[in-house]
Amino acid sequence: MALCLGASGLPALAQDAGNTIKIGVVAAESGAFVSAGHTLPAGVGLAVKQINDAGGINVGGKNYKLEMVKRDDRTDIATAIAATQELVRDERVAAIFGSESHDFTLAMAKITQPAKVMHFAGNSTLGKVLTPEAVKGGGENHYLFQSEPQEFQRSGSTARGVLSLLEPLLGAKPKKSVVIAGNDATGQFLSSFYITALKAEGQDVPDIIFYPPETTDFSPFLTKAKSYDPDIIHFWYNGDSTLTALPQALELGAAKSYFMFGVDPGIWKERGLTADVPVAMSCVPICWGASSNPGSKPYFDAYFAAGAPHGVTSSVSLLYHDYVHFLAKAWEKAGSFDPDKTVDALMSMKYSGVVSDTLAFNETHQVTHATEVCAAAPGGDITCSMQQPPEKAPQ
Amino acid sequence: MDILLQQILNGLSIASVITLIAVGVTLIFGLTGIINFAHGEFLMVGSIVTWLAVSNGIAFPLALILGVLAVALMGFVLERAIFRFTLERPTNGFIVSLGLIVVLQHVVILFWNANQKSIPRPLTTVWEIGGVRIASVRVMVILMTIAVVAMTYVMITRSRYGRALRASVEDRDTAALMGIPVRRYITGVFVLGSALAGLGGGLLIALFPITPFTGGTMVMKGFAVALIGGLGNLSGAVAAGLILGIVEGLSAGYGFSEWTDAYSFGLMILVLLFRPHGLFGGTSGPKMA
Repeated sequence: MALCLGASGLPALAQDAGNTIKIGVVAAESGAFVSAGHTLPAGVGLAVKQINDAGGINVGGKNYKLEMVKRDDRTDIATAIAATQELVRDERVAAIFGSESHDFTLAMAKITQPAKVMHFAGNSTLGKVLTPEAVKGGGENHYLFQSEPQEFQRSGSTARGVLSLLEPLLGAKPKKSVVIAGNDATGQFLSSFYITALKAEGQDVPDIIFYPPETTDFSPFLTKAKSYDPDIIHFWYNGDSTLTALPQALELGAAKSYFMFGVDPGIWKERGLTADVPVAMSCVPICWGASSNPGSKPYFDAYFAAGAPHGVTSSVSLLYHDYVHFLAKAWEKAGSFDPDKTVDALMSMKYSGVVSDTLAFNETHQVTHATEVCAAAPGGDITCSMQQPPEKAPQ
Repeated sequence: MDILLQQILNGLSIASVITLIAVGVTLIFGLTGIINFAHGEFLMVGSIVTWLAVSNGIAFPLALILGVLAVALMGFVLERAIFRFTLERPTNGFIVSLGLIVVLQHVVILFWNANQKSIPRPLTTVWEIGGVRIASVRVMVILMTIAVVAMTYVMITRSRYGRALRASVEDRDTAALMGIPVRRYITGVFVLGSALAGLGGGLLIALFPITPFTGGTMVMKGFAVALIGGLGNLSGAVAAGLILGIVEGLSAGYGFSEWTDAYSFGLMILVLLFRPHGLFGGTSGPKMA
């Protein structure tokens, strides 16, 4: 039956099974990406519970409950592909959320898109496959949506936030920045956007220092960074590595201030971290330990109460949670689970989520919103802000 | 000049932890023939036990001892329950150790999740001499490593126990005929190597946060050091640990930083090509009649 459905190109939706709509999640619940991966089912699961507790969704005059079906991809792309096939063909999910990895998402989309399954991925780098041609009706990625801003927007928003928060704490405008990044595909790719963003904001960036991905002793890299006498050392992008590096940087007195990408101020507080210089932190997309966003506290109270651990990357759950609600509203608006009608509804709506009051997808199925940055003063006070991203990519 | 001195000092502290692993690896392989690739996970368990103890209010020195004892006990149990039955077929032991890596990682994740674990620095003083910053915690790690490795060296080379051990390496059967309880000695060496990994883990978490996956990286370098120094050669492991630490420090500072690991393993390949038994000569494991 599933093969026939697949062959005919018809969506294999789960509403055939009754009043329950299945939503699939493919994420790393083990393996190297587990830190971010476990936030996906936690965020989606919370949204499903909230929707069901509120009575479910009303589509075409009939009430439906949602059911999350999660699969661990074990940080292995072959497992992610197999899990996606199972969810689409056997579980007949109406939508899939994941994965946290760009490469995995691209492979998964080869299965979800021909099967007309709605697919949401919190990756900032799907621009090459989300072209106007690919997302139009009948295009090869018509049902694929990017639930994280494009990388130039995330980098731009982050750079603006870091510089604006550190300047008053330093007592002068920072001029020289050194970036330290993991030497893996993600680190190399993402850091190029961030350096461009820093230069667009007037920073002199004399060097980017790459470290091997599994590094624990950062002192040789930090000593090299120190030789440039920088105003800011930016640790980009791995939160766990950043937390390993910062105490070593403070011991070495490597810079006048620091920025840690992907580290929540909540972790800063829980670990009792302190610094004798200003330290900025950013979250993807908003923080749970301190936040300028009024929606943060109620969301994360519910998120942690549901059993999710306090993690460096807990905020990543919001790249999925809001979009389960958004999708549910789209189904209600469309009055149908038909994927084409659902896409039309999604594209015509704005959704007021936790991250932003005006979540919406642009013509290439990508969202735009700010990324939150917080800064800890030497005395311990933490202030946060969300700077709007640039509209166009800086050259 | 101060940057150069800083880089050399940087290299010494991480070299200490790697040396502790390498000494464990070199002892266990050289004296028992067991190739335990899960040795890095033994180190990780040492870190986790130390973290658990410190998190429950136990002072770092006592937590460190608990970490060492817990991993030594784990080594005892695993040697008696598993590795003992692979002594005649070292390849089986090697495969078993690969399986243990996954098991130990996921047991830790099951109970304490995969997030990073860290403890407050047991020593926080930082001295600055001529532009070089010296963290007291790094000095502590270096000094403890020197002391423990020196004691191990004396025990292996000067004590009766050590002589019996070395006799067992030369010829297990003859040693057994001479009244040496070879099997018990093998267990003892495995427990000692495990305890050193536990100590390395406790010291590592004093320096850096760890995750359940930390062991994998460290054991690769531990094996590289053991091979460069010569498997089974204790003083070779110490010298190679120093060389590797300084090579890493200088290559990160003055070479292509992203190739830091490549320099280390490249050095290992070169050494093994031109001196197959390592820079200081090693064994090929115990000889069995």
